[in-house]
Amino acid sequence: MISLILIFPIIACLILFLIKNRALNNLMINLYAFIHIICSICLCIEYNPFDIKQNLFAADELNKIFLIVLSIVYLAVAIYNNGYMKDDKSLTRKLRHYSYAVLLFVLSMTGAILSSNLGITWIFIEATTLASAYLIYFHKTKHSIEAAWKYVFICSIGIALAFVGIILLTIATGNLNSLFYNDLYSNAQNFDIFWLKLSFVFILFGIGTKMGLAPVHFWLPDAHAQSPSPISALLSATLLNSAFLMILKVFKVIIIAGCDNYARIILFTMGFLSLFVAAVFVYHINNYKRMLAYSSIENMGILAIGAALGGAGMFAATIHMIGHSFIKASFFMTSGNILKIFETKKIKSVTGLLEKDNKTGWLWILSCLGIVAFPPSILFISEYLIVKTMLQEGHYWMCTGFLLLLTIVIYGLSKAVFTMSVNSGKNQEKVKLSWTMYAPQIVLLIIAFVMGIYLPYYEIIANAVKGF
Amino acid sequence: MENIFIILLGLSMLYIASTSRLKAHINMLSLQGWLLFFICIFGLTHESWFNAQILQDIKSNWVHIFGIAFIILETLGVKSFLIPLFLNKVLNKTHVHRDSDANIPHFYALVISSVILFSGFMVANIQAPALKMISPLYFGVSVSIIITSLWLITIKHTVLSNVISFITMGNGIFLLSLAAAKEMPIIVNLGVLLDIFIAVFILGLLVKEINTEFEDLEVSQLSDLKDYE
Repeated sequence: MISLILIFPIIACLILFLIKNRALNNLMINLYAFIHIICSICLCIEYNPFDIKQNLFAADELNKIFLIVLSIVYLAVAIYNNGYMKDDKSLTRKLRHYSYAVLLFVLSMTGAILSSNLGITWIFIEATTLASAYLIYFHKTKHSIEAAWKYVFICSIGIALAFVGIILLTIATGNLNSLFYNDLYSNAQNFDIFWLKLSFVFILFGIGTKMGLAPVHFWLPDAHAQSPSPISALLSATLLNSAFLMILKVFKVIIIAGCDNYARIILFTMGFLSLFVAAVFVYHINNYKRMLAYSSIENMGILAIGAALGGAGMFAATIHMIGHSFIKASFFMTSGNILKIFETKKIKSVTGLLEKDNKTGWLWILSCLGIVAFPPSILFISEYLIVKTMLQEGHYWMCTGFLLLLTIVIYGLSKAVFTMSVNSGKNQEKVKLSWTMYAPQIVLLIIAFVMGIYLPYYEIIANAVKGF
Repeated sequence: MENIFIILLGLSMLYIASTSRLKAHINMLSLQGWLLFFICIFGLTHESWFNAQILQDIKSNWVHIFGIAFIILETLGVKSFLIPLFLNKVLNKTHVHRDSDANIPHFYALVISSVILFSGFMVANIQAPALKMISPLYFGVSVSIIITSLWLITIKHTVLSNVISFITMGNGIFLLSLAAAKEMPIIVNLGVLLDIFIAVFILGLLVKEINTEFEDLEVSQLSDLKDYE
């Protein structure tokens, strides 16, 4: 199954290269989405009948949940993409390049998640940057060039620094000549603490760039705002998770080595800085896609804080990651609907969304309610658990700051979303989009809200926390 | 012997910091590729298996031979030939030959980068006992190259200079990986090389696009995307 999930996109790219048919582009993206989710389910239930024996990739307790989230979001995006690209007048060649990039982008994220070796994870994380650069640059405007340049350049520097961290980690490992996670976990107690601490700083800042943690988040608002909406959804809902997983795996080494207090302080600092940056910028922004990008920075901050708290905080971070991925993907895809209807990204130029397209309007409002953790959104449970853990551990000031910053973000987001949805005052001509531009968001939001009411004891979530 | 090449590598950064001609920067990149090749080869001479006999028994020594071939490909093939060739092509297409408006005059840039290099030597040598399993000279020079490159990215004005500084940072990281005195698995090395090469390739393509869309290749042109419009 792992072989199939990793080899299929390469075969699909070859087919697209050899048979230059416009209809094949979407077909391959959809086919890979279905294969991806089937393989992910099989890996999660440990049904793996015909796999080649190898040790570089494996579905372990921690990465299964990340894999299944990637599969679901990618399937939703692939279905949405059918409607989004239907009226695209781009040349067949340009669309083919788009399909190559989407397939390779998902392949590299899957590789980063499934990799059981730190070096290989690094390679795939770097590959995500290179594969998605074209997607950000897809519209070929001045702004998209600027966004793509910042994305590739800043992320490449960040990832290069993460590689410095990996080299320092190999120094810390002493006589152990392996970068396999299992070897690192089982020998972590013998590592040199000085080099280990230093390596964590480099890896956190390097991969934190990719995850969008402040103060190394600068590429994120530009890239999310300039890329096509299905790609923004993938960037925000899956790419950031892949980077988070790598940080978690290195953090686990630090915990086993017994120097986690220091790492937790850095994670807390970056988490709160991310919340602060989002709170400052989200309030005044006049571009709704940038606003969603800042919301992603905020949520990555919450993940960092949850991971730093540990215990129940880690459980909260895991379900927050799931909820954020589903709701943010829905939010970004709905922003694509708005862009199709109003042909502008300016918040002030969009009014009366509910009148113009009722379904898009409600999806926009419900996505907003979901992301601001309005009950029964699953994010309400995760944020409640984080607050509860902070209070239980006596972090009262931290808890106050957390709630204050969240309130500012909630106000800023809600104000913009509700202003766009109502407040027209003039007769709006109704618009109808393809059903594929509504259905994926509806399904993702249903999952996110149902999980908020009834969170069954999913073995996979519990195992992820246990695996950490 | 390799110490001379390491020092030359450090000094090549001083030249990059103190000149504005992009062609000279690219030539320095090529030279750095050669220096890294010599550092690797002279480093290997300390290994017990490194002798002429490994070529006679290729079957049992294929790992070592593959390792040497990889080093030649990485340092000579990619770092000193392919990347400079590609950057020269970009340079000829964009017709930007100088980065004369750096934030700091070249004389001061030379002084500051010398201080960084000297500090690298000093810290590595003073802390040598604490560094344990790594060579102080490798460590000091590689860290100073990384820091100087990051600093050059912040002061240079053209996007092509930024790409060149990114590559010199990559060379510093390569030297640091040699400092660890432990070999990374070949697959990791291969992946790293491929990633860096593609990153440079994509950045080069973007430089050409920026040259077409914008008035000039200044980084300041790339600041149109703002939070408050």
